[in-house]
Amino acid sequence: MERVLRSNTTRIALGVAAVVLAVVLFVLLKDDGGDNDTSGSGSSGAKTVAGTRAKPAKPQVPVIAIGGGKPVGGVAELSYSAGERIRFKVRSDVADEIHVHGYDLTKDVEAGGTVGFDFAATIEGVFEAELEDRGEQILELRVNP
Amino acid sequence: MTFLPFAHALLAREDLPLPAWLFAWGASIVLIVSFFALSAGWRTPKFEDESWRSLGAGWSRLLLGPPAQALCGLAGLFLLGVTVYAGLRGTEAPDRNFAITFVFVTVWLGFPALSVIFGNVFRPFNPWRAIGRAVGGGFAAIAGQRPVHVSYPEALGRWPAAIGLLAFVWLEIVYSAGGGVAVGVSPHTTAIAALVYSGYTLAMMALFGVEKWCERGEVFAVYFGMFSRLGSFGVRDGRLGVRRPLSAATGWATVPGSAAVVIASIATTSFDGAQEGAFQNAIETVFDWLVDAGFGLTAALRVTDTIFLVLCFAAVALVYLVGVRGMETVRGAPPLRKLRSGFAHTLIPIAFAYLFAHYFSLVVFQEQAQFTYLLSDPLGTATTDLFGTASGGIDFGILSANAIWYVQVGALVAGHVAALTLAHDRATAYWGDYRQAARSQYWMLAVMIAFTCFGLYLLSVANA
Repeated sequence: MERVLRSNTTRIALGVAAVVLAVVLFVLLKDDGGDNDTSGSGSSGAKTVAGTRAKPAKPQVPVIAIGGGKPVGGVAELSYSAGERIRFKVRSDVADEIHVHGYDLTKDVEAGGTVGFDFAATIEGVFEAELEDRGEQILELRVNP
Repeated sequence: MTFLPFAHALLAREDLPLPAWLFAWGASIVLIVSFFALSAGWRTPKFEDESWRSLGAGWSRLLLGPPAQALCGLAGLFLLGVTVYAGLRGTEAPDRNFAITFVFVTVWLGFPALSVIFGNVFRPFNPWRAIGRAVGGGFAAIAGQRPVHVSYPEALGRWPAAIGLLAFVWLEIVYSAGGGVAVGVSPHTTAIAALVYSGYTLAMMALFGVEKWCERGEVFAVYFGMFSRLGSFGVRDGRLGVRRPLSAATGWATVPGSAAVVIASIATTSFDGAQEGAFQNAIETVFDWLVDAGFGLTAALRVTDTIFLVLCFAAVALVYLVGVRGMETVRGAPPLRKLRSGFAHTLIPIAFAYLFAHYFSLVVFQEQAQFTYLLSDPLGTATTDLFGTASGGIDFGILSANAIWYVQVGALVAGHVAALTLAHDRATAYWGDYRQAARSQYWMLAVMIAFTCFGLYLLSVANA
């Protein structure tokens, strides 16, 4: 009888300890998650235009420059929230077709030309945009929920 | 830094990394479940006996009889033929060629799930088994005696399958990563590999016998067969029946090399997940070293990825063996050999959970392609429209990021629970004394928490 009692107490104590631990962990880490969320969208895109979410009075449209058939300064990164408008331009020194995967949008660009993209962020996830003929990735596009 | 041509073969949409708050939730649930398992364990084994009962002779005749076997075998053979033909004659664009999606998504990722749900369904469709049985039957009819085989060296166990599994994933992820641009393994390579593997498999079947090789060395049969042990449906003495879920797994790992198969599964999925996040910097560093040392770009990438794949295998094996060593220290433990193979099956649910979490979205997206344009235009040359679905496409909006995340965490937690259940059950069978059994399970608990939390971690940094 006593043994049963003790083992039950142990079980309850273990259970309570686990729940407390979980709640503490959750509260601690959820805060971190929130911070990451806001700072993440602000600092996204090292050299492309940040603050796509902030919506300033005159929203700047980021321009991805292509030099020698490659993105200048490495693959560009753009981050949006679902439902926003995705706007960017590509200025290229080579003629190619620009393909935004997932959304499956394609536009031709001439050597020395510039093309603009403007579409709604309807699909969440991580997507690539490529110079299709060269198979060269120029943009990593993120749409967060 | 040198530009790394990472191969994103098929998928136009990749998963967003698991957010920190969900990572914390997942890990917390894992801990709660684990503590609960420690305190609320049962004291006698419940899964060592399958409690198998027949579904009735009708079902067995219908699903296991010669007509069904012949039909399934022909279907498997036909699909192998289509794969090779599409690979050789079709487009080299991997996303438009039937061969790539069919082999690496529909079969490789589809059958583990189908096997858990419906039992060992790959067995009748296995094209090499079908050929082997037909040839064996033909030989017996002509020669008037059954073919004679060399007896399989039992010490080899399932090692050929484990090595084959690593080789398959090496071809899929490591070899193909040298393709340069963002394409994965090419359809042509896939077709050649399928032919080479067919030749090798048929030779081994001729040598050791069809069924023997399917149980020990045929990669797909062994791999999918392993997952089928988790489910409720199983065949016993040629009769179809139902059994307690998970129970059939307990008898799986008695063959040598079984631990290597399940460890290879966890390791390869880990590697695939880690290369797009956790290992990215380390991989780039080693890659740069090798390029500086005079390797070509493709060679450097292949060598780097091979090193990390092998490291993954070693690391997963190490974690498991540390757990086994730990259990050995608990009073009344069986010998190390027995422990080592005796708990290998407890990793099968973890392996399945890893697969499910990492490839769930890929399968949902890519199967849309499989059953629309890849079915109607298998060569990808826009010359055929067999079923009128050639113009179909993938709706990437079908899954929200949240849906994917919850499925991923749910799969890992469910796998964790199943793994703990099997480990606890095995401990009660090995240790007569319940207290010692529970004590031994601190070690397996640590192993499982390590795997599950590592899985969550990989998802939280993938594509971050």
